[in-house]
Amino acid sequence: MNKHKEMNMSEHENHDEHHHDTPIEDKEIADWKKKLIWSWIFTIPIAVVMLFDRFFGINLLEFSGETGMIVILLVLAFPVVFIFGFSTIKAGIRGLFTFYFNMDSLIALGTVIAYLTGIFAVFGSIDDYSGVAAMIMAFFTTGKYVEALARGRAGKEIRKLLELGAKKAMVLRGKKEIEIPIEEVKVGDIIIIKPGEKIPTDGVVVKGESAVDESMVTGESLPVEKKKASSVIGATINQDGILYVKATKIGKDTFLAHIIELVEEAQGTKVPIQKLADKITSIFVPAILILAILTFIAWIYFTNDLSRSIAVSVAVLVIACPCALGLATPTALMVGSGMGAKSGILIRKGEAIQTMKEVKIIVFDKTGTITKGKPEVADTYAKTDKKYFLETAASLEKLSEHPLSRAVVEHAKLKKYKAVKGFKILRGRGVEGIIGTKKVIIGNTLLMNENKVDLKNFREKIKEFENRAYTTIIVSENKKAIGIIGIADAIKDDSMYTIKKLNEQNYKTIMITGDNERTAKAIAKQVGIKEVIANVLPEDKSKKVEELQKKGMVAFIGDGINDAPALKQSNVGIAMGTGTDIAIEAGDIVLAKGSLQGTVQAINLSKATFRKIKQNLFWAFAYNVIAIPLAVSGLLHPVVAEIAMALSSITVVTNANLLRRAKIDK
Amino acid sequence: MKKVKITIEGMHCSSCASNVEKSLKKVPGVREATVSLMTRKGFVECEDKVTNEEIKKAVARAGYKATAIE
Repeated sequence: MNKHKEMNMSEHENHDEHHHDTPIEDKEIADWKKKLIWSWIFTIPIAVVMLFDRFFGINLLEFSGETGMIVILLVLAFPVVFIFGFSTIKAGIRGLFTFYFNMDSLIALGTVIAYLTGIFAVFGSIDDYSGVAAMIMAFFTTGKYVEALARGRAGKEIRKLLELGAKKAMVLRGKKEIEIPIEEVKVGDIIIIKPGEKIPTDGVVVKGESAVDESMVTGESLPVEKKKASSVIGATINQDGILYVKATKIGKDTFLAHIIELVEEAQGTKVPIQKLADKITSIFVPAILILAILTFIAWIYFTNDLSRSIAVSVAVLVIACPCALGLATPTALMVGSGMGAKSGILIRKGEAIQTMKEVKIIVFDKTGTITKGKPEVADTYAKTDKKYFLETAASLEKLSEHPLSRAVVEHAKLKKYKAVKGFKILRGRGVEGIIGTKKVIIGNTLLMNENKVDLKNFREKIKEFENRAYTTIIVSENKKAIGIIGIADAIKDDSMYTIKKLNEQNYKTIMITGDNERTAKAIAKQVGIKEVIANVLPEDKSKKVEELQKKGMVAFIGDGINDAPALKQSNVGIAMGTGTDIAIEAGDIVLAKGSLQGTVQAINLSKATFRKIKQNLFWAFAYNVIAIPLAVSGLLHPVVAEIAMALSSITVVTNANLLRRAKIDK
Repeated sequence: MKKVKITIEGMHCSSCASNVEKSLKKVPGVREATVSLMTRKGFVECEDKVTNEEIKKAVARAGYKATAIE
């Protein structure tokens, strides 16, 4: 690892500005281009001679005599096949010996055999195909060049992501501001970011206020206000104020680095529909080799014409193209996930793209998904002294980390808390403890019923709170209710819009929550969800998903923090990111920006990508199914066969690039 | 168990990628290997005893070059 780093450093020393962006792609494209130009310099004269000979019966090389002409062609073709095509020939021949056959094996065999006919032609009576060898190689190189270009385009968005990171940072050292390379920034460094500059790494604002454009990372189009204690994401752009940021994460731990890793890793995952294509690809080359031999035998047997038999077999070798098959899925997936990444939709598993199409039921977690997940006390109602009631509640809730508990504590704003003994968290239901001599239990109605707490005097008020969509918790003392607290969690701005869209597309939308039925229904009604599953303990969410799966494929959308099992259980798990923490491991698809609208986009993108994959696979299969029999029957000249082959993979990659036209926003 | 990411140079067709995959899977201790032609990256899930050298060799055996292992 270290060794590699050193090597890279020295390699890039001379052109520092390209430190991060001399990708292998560009090197490869430049490489193919060079080969292509040189190949054609030698091949064009050959082509001219061959065309005149074939179509006009004019031998441009008549002066040299028959043998002389062959020799001239051999000399011209040699560099094309064996020098500019060296890497192909080498890899191909090597593949033949090691049994790791590849595309090159077919081209190498095809061109070498064709070239050899030229040598034999000098001595015997066989047609000279050495010119054909050069033309095949030249077209092959051209095809590879165009394909590499198109492939580079397919990875455009992802490459942009890689280049997004800042290269330098202005840090405060003592009282001095100094500029250092990003690699030298340490956790805890104070970084100064001026308006218009890129925030170098993840951190927390310690001084200053500004709006930050986070669209490049999260897809959120509106600038986000930042002030003291706000977290900022590396690679986003500071807009109008100076920010002093303490670096909290650097290098591989940053949000951007995680996103990049996630996207790269996703490219390695397979879409199930690709399986057949992969299987065919893996046996394709040996199968074609055998087919070429059989073709040769059959032709020689029936026609007794050696030259013709060789030409037909060469055509078979070069027309077959595992590339189109193999590229069909990965290129479309790459374009699709690149488009997604641009809008903050990260596809982690290729499989999700295919499954999405089958999904009928979409289950939303309530807190943090439909709602903002920042509960606040909206109303209280007590039958005792209100101050005493809040003191009791907040003292006990202080000991819990639950968001609802925190809301209570924040609301009460106590200066001093009462001492609590025997504190216990009753997961999914509430808390209990002893204050003074009294046993205090705080929690939902379920917990009160379990403990036979007397709720009369409160029933009407609880109902009222619940109808107002408040999550209602009851504070009890020695089995007697003393007051209730209504907590509201505001609905996200785009929840209604998103659910309306999904309902329109005939998805069955369901909300799942630990709240009681009445509160849940009140919220569901506000956002347009018709079905709710209420009173569900966090650990039971995955069970509910499993039950729903009996009726059809289920997508689950949650924040990934406590619904990880449900996300896993569902057919497509969509995890909502919140701020800089994204639940990477939990979802098949991760929405970097915490808005629900990403769901609609993710669904549309998955469907569009999958359609492209299907189209591509269809073309790739169709091409081979039609082209190979044509070649076997001798209807195609080897050069025409090679052109068809090159076009087939170019078509597939170009078609994948057309995915960008798909509209995913609505 | 560990996860290794490799950068592979020289692949230019899908049978190349599947060859590298096949070769990687033959290394004792390797559970899963996926290679992407598009990103030129390979992901290998293997037991801790598998060395980078072995992985490099496996890539070389299929006829390509592993330029970075992390």
